Amino acid sequence: MALKDFIPMQERCSNCSFCKWIPFDKVKSVRFAENCPAVVHGGFNTYAARGRFQMGLAIAKGELDYTDEMARITHECLDCGACDVACKVCRYNLEPLDHNRELKHDALLKGHILPAQLKMLDAFNEEKTLVVGAKKADRTKWAEGIEWAKKPEVLFFPGCKYSYDKKLQKTARNAAQLLLKAGVKLGYLGDAEMCCAGRLYQMGFFEQFDKRAGANIKAIENSGVKTIVTPCSDCYHAFKRLYAAKGLKVEVLHVVEYLDRMLKEGTLKFTKAIDLTVTYHDPCHLGRQGEPYEAWEGHEKKILNQVHTWEPRRPRYNGSKGIYEEPRNILRAIPGVKLVEMERIKEYSWCCGAGSGCSVTDKEFSEWTAKERIEEANSTGAEALVTACPWCKDNFEKAGGIKVVDIIDLALKAL
Amino acid sequence: MALSKEIYAAFEAVVGKNNISQDPGVLQTYRCKASQSSAHYGPYNHITPMPQAVILPGSTKEVQGVVRLCNKYKIEFKASTTFWSAHGYISSDNAVQLDMRRMKNFTIDPKNMVAQIEPYVIGATLQAEAMKYGLTCNIPGVGCSSSTLASTSGWTGGGPISVFAGVNYENFLCAEWVLPTGDIVYSGTAGAGGDWSCGEGPGPSLRACFKGSTGQTGDFGVCTRISVKLSPWPGPKYLPSTGYAPVYLADLPENFRAYCICFPNWDSWAKAVMKINDNYILYIGHRQFSMFGNKVKGAMLKIITDQDLQLCDLPALMEDPETDKFNKSIAIEAYIVLAGFTPDDLAWKEAALDEILKEFGGWKDEWFLEKDHENYLLTYLIRLGHKNLNYVLCGSYEGHYGLCGHNQVVSASVMEEASAIREKAQQEGTYMAATGGDSMMGSLAGVGGGGGPMGCEFFMCFDAHDPKSVDECRDFIDNVSRPWSLGKGFGMEMCNITSKMRRPDAYSYTQEEQNAMYKDIPGANPFVYQWYMREAFNPNHLCSSYYQTCDPKAVEKK
Repeated sequence: MALKDFIPMQERCSNCSFCKWIPFDKVKSVRFAENCPAVVHGGFNTYAARGRFQMGLAIAKGELDYTDEMARITHECLDCGACDVACKVCRYNLEPLDHNRELKHDALLKGHILPAQLKMLDAFNEEKTLVVGAKKADRTKWAEGIEWAKKPEVLFFPGCKYSYDKKLQKTARNAAQLLLKAGVKLGYLGDAEMCCAGRLYQMGFFEQFDKRAGANIKAIENSGVKTIVTPCSDCYHAFKRLYAAKGLKVEVLHVVEYLDRMLKEGTLKFTKAIDLTVTYHDPCHLGRQGEPYEAWEGHEKKILNQVHTWEPRRPRYNGSKGIYEEPRNILRAIPGVKLVEMERIKEYSWCCGAGSGCSVTDKEFSEWTAKERIEEANSTGAEALVTACPWCKDNFEKAGGIKVVDIIDLALKAL
Repeated sequence: MALSKEIYAAFEAVVGKNNISQDPGVLQTYRCKASQSSAHYGPYNHITPMPQAVILPGSTKEVQGVVRLCNKYKIEFKASTTFWSAHGYISSDNAVQLDMRRMKNFTIDPKNMVAQIEPYVIGATLQAEAMKYGLTCNIPGVGCSSSTLASTSGWTGGGPISVFAGVNYENFLCAEWVLPTGDIVYSGTAGAGGDWSCGEGPGPSLRACFKGSTGQTGDFGVCTRISVKLSPWPGPKYLPSTGYAPVYLADLPENFRAYCICFPNWDSWAKAVMKINDNYILYIGHRQFSMFGNKVKGAMLKIITDQDLQLCDLPALMEDPETDKFNKSIAIEAYIVLAGFTPDDLAWKEAALDEILKEFGGWKDEWFLEKDHENYLLTYLIRLGHKNLNYVLCGSYEGHYGLCGHNQVVSASVMEEASAIREKAQQEGTYMAATGGDSMMGSLAGVGGGGGPMGCEFFMCFDAHDPKSVDECRDFIDNVSRPWSLGKGFGMEMCNITSKMRRPDAYSYTQEEQNAMYKDIPGANPFVYQWYMREAFNPNHLCSSYYQTCDPKAVEKK
């Protein structure tokens, strides 16, 4: 779709401002009632999904050209999708998240690329990763010494962050070894592994994403696996939603789903007590955007003379089928761990600030977003903030103010 | 027309460089398609004017600084908070838009049951904070996404809970108001140097001066802080809800009941509602889902309470005999919540309701007695967090109200007439939405609060981007409302109020145009009074025609 294809949606945005708040039935306080980091940080309506619809409409109709400020605002969106959930509490025919991405894509097509995005793109093209400064030759170092299954049924895909970040490599290694120890026929692409490019898609680089997705799908199919398991929420979203749309047929699981499955089957049991009060941060791309892909091709149709709908029925991604209970089941199963919830959780969770490359392209905004979440986490009385995404973990740690724990590390500690 | 560098720098010095913009993209997002707010605006492609700048003041002092600069440079201004409709946007090319989102402080005085709030405190957040003290606020019909200060100081503010908690203009106590000149006025006990617990009176009131006859909708300076009355909340400190978006269900507290009460005809409905109001048994009373229209109502209720259903399921659901049966049961209905402050209180209210239902042949609809549906209804009515459903069918709606102000007298006749006109229009016109139109929606309390008259509106959906849809909706509304409101003397209807505030091209009316509209009003002319008020407090005419005026000379000429 091009931006002009969104004109009916841009026009039908009802200016209600629901996109700026968590679903109202869930509001517990003034302090933690808002959902969109961009508009809370930037202030102007322009930053919210409704503003993006309005700005996008004028651009699509040729009434407005991007200024530098407009391009900056366009890219200052974390792709968190909180607006999308809030909008769809009532609306059935608007797709704010898709529109936000298309607006970024449109800006890029017209040459409005941020300097930091250029660096990321260079890294992607040259070193096959979005981690600026990382080298392709170092990608597999984290896995040295691991004995992978000779005929793997499950592919372990750690993604760029776990592969390159030295603080996180141990987590990926432990997760892989845990699965291998449990008898999972686990394999690894090794040198053939490249960035999933999900983050590029979030940033609006659709063409580059398409190319990489095609290559990765081929590599995955050639490996002969039936399942991919990844500890990274961004990779999870890329495979489960974006690659599925491109024809990837294998089952996609996040490590938390796999561990939860093992807990239920009795193949995993936590025996060591950990005396810790924790709160859990739902990563956007595992939670509200972690819903399974449903294929659809159709068109808009009016019924009852003026009611806008789709023919055939269009999948309605509203966050309700994301991955929420699996990580919580794991935390509840660890003896001694006490889970306390923040005000904004599950499909209306507040973003960590790292999405859509903003931790690289707009560091101040990204860190501010993380600090907001940390304040919310601290308000629960939790001693640690647990998450299931390396990007979230890294961003929270950079912001500081609370102990941050990867759920995999916590689970391994309890074995 | 861009602000000069000098003027821009002056505004920037007041609010800081991050809180002002004249970037074309930012300005574009402070405009509103006029027809989206009313089928009486148009023709279709009119959009509110481009502001010269958007300014985000963060304090009363900053608001005052901005307004004084507006006076110095003769620039119009308009403040808004959540920008729900065209009402919140400027209506002149020579204007700056104030976005009040940075001002969201609040305090709650539980002893005096009062909240002191700034503009960006919305119904949802105020209610959530008040519940912690065993209190709640009135949330107006527009829903909890809107600013409580805006509906209180600038409009009427009636809603489902108004039957118990009063209408917002009644709950309006003290105010801190930056006048159009930049002077600051404090009213009520705040003005007397006391706390913020009590409004003015008896006698002439500054609140009434500034609000005007219909609420000034941000057109008489900038209201920066108010105190508003809160009401008792006999529920938990937080109303927990289960489920995922969009079907959130609150577990019904033991001392609450939520019902859809139904009647065989409008006459018995009207008499029963009056008796229910007379006996003060309601915590919440509203006609809500009637906004979808009688033929669509049952099917839409099934959609919005089911995770997996969508609008494309409407036709099949409407053809389902079960839905037809459901529609017949809830054709003439009201949605209510009873709240018991003690077990005996609830028992008495339940008994009184049953007796009234029996007397007028009413019943409690069975579908709403199912636990999940009862819980959905309770969540919906208490929090009013789904009001975007107003837009869900066609993207825009026209509501006209006022004519249903006396339910005993008007309801039955109007409903029957509207249904007949709508049926006729739908047969003749291809573009008339087959939704809404026979739906009297609104609070059982209405403008009087606590019983008596009610303020329902007829609700018609339309597509603001389909000219024929706009035309046919407008004609329908006019055909239904004018014979009643003007012909039979029941007062102005909503569309009339809306279309008299702003020209169809989305700009302010000139004084001459306003004079022509208001000079012939019979009896004491409130718009002449407002002209004197405007001249006294807004001598530079820096706010738009939402504060409607009539030059006394125009009346004298008559």
